[in-house]
Amino acid sequence: MTGLFGNLTHFGALVFFAIVVSISFAFLSKRTNVERANYTLLAFLAFMLVAIGIGWLMLPFSR
Amino acid sequence: MEEIITSETAKGNQAKGIAAAVAGWIVPGLGHLMLRRWSKASVYFLCIGALACAGLAMRGGVFGAGAEDLFDRLGFFADLGSGMFYFLAHQLQPAGPDVAHATGDYGTRLFAAAGMLNLLTVLEAYDIGRGGETK
Repeated sequence: MTGLFGNLTHFGALVFFAIVVSISFAFLSKRTNVERANYTLLAFLAFMLVAIGIGWLMLPFSR
Repeated sequence: MEEIITSETAKGNQAKGIAAAVAGWIVPGLGHLMLRRWSKASVYFLCIGALACAGLAMRGGVFGAGAEDLFDRLGFFADLGSGMFYFLAHQLQPAGPDVAHATGDYGTRLFAAAGMLNLLTVLEAYDIGRGGETK
């Protein structure tokens, strides 16, 4: 278990978190499988977009 | 036909909701399993279990009950939400936390996210159990 996740990069952890939480939110808020699949995809893309966007916004402050 | 809800029926539903919520808190997805929501039960167990196990595998920190700082206390409540994964944390990761490295810090957040997610599923299980959701 440690070997699988122990060397996960920040980006890898973000992708893993986004997938798992998107699926959970889809099952919490939608009823049909089609709705759930659509919601999972949209939530995953939103997580990625927002995280990468905030990352870019913070770039000037990291130097 | 109009359904008559007596106070005893309402109490029964309330008890069912509470039982589902407690079961769902201890074992993620168990509350939904009791209420015959098979797909939700398996998805919640797998997702919350994956988050919690990943957090522990990354050697994330697990907050104890004796925290004095407000944020540590909030972290404790978030971690406690994951139920059995909180109580089995030391067995699942015998090496303990290592938050000196970035990976350990990510693990702390993943474990807290697992707890918060489980609390949401517990609320849903309670709602379904007391008859708040029709499907």
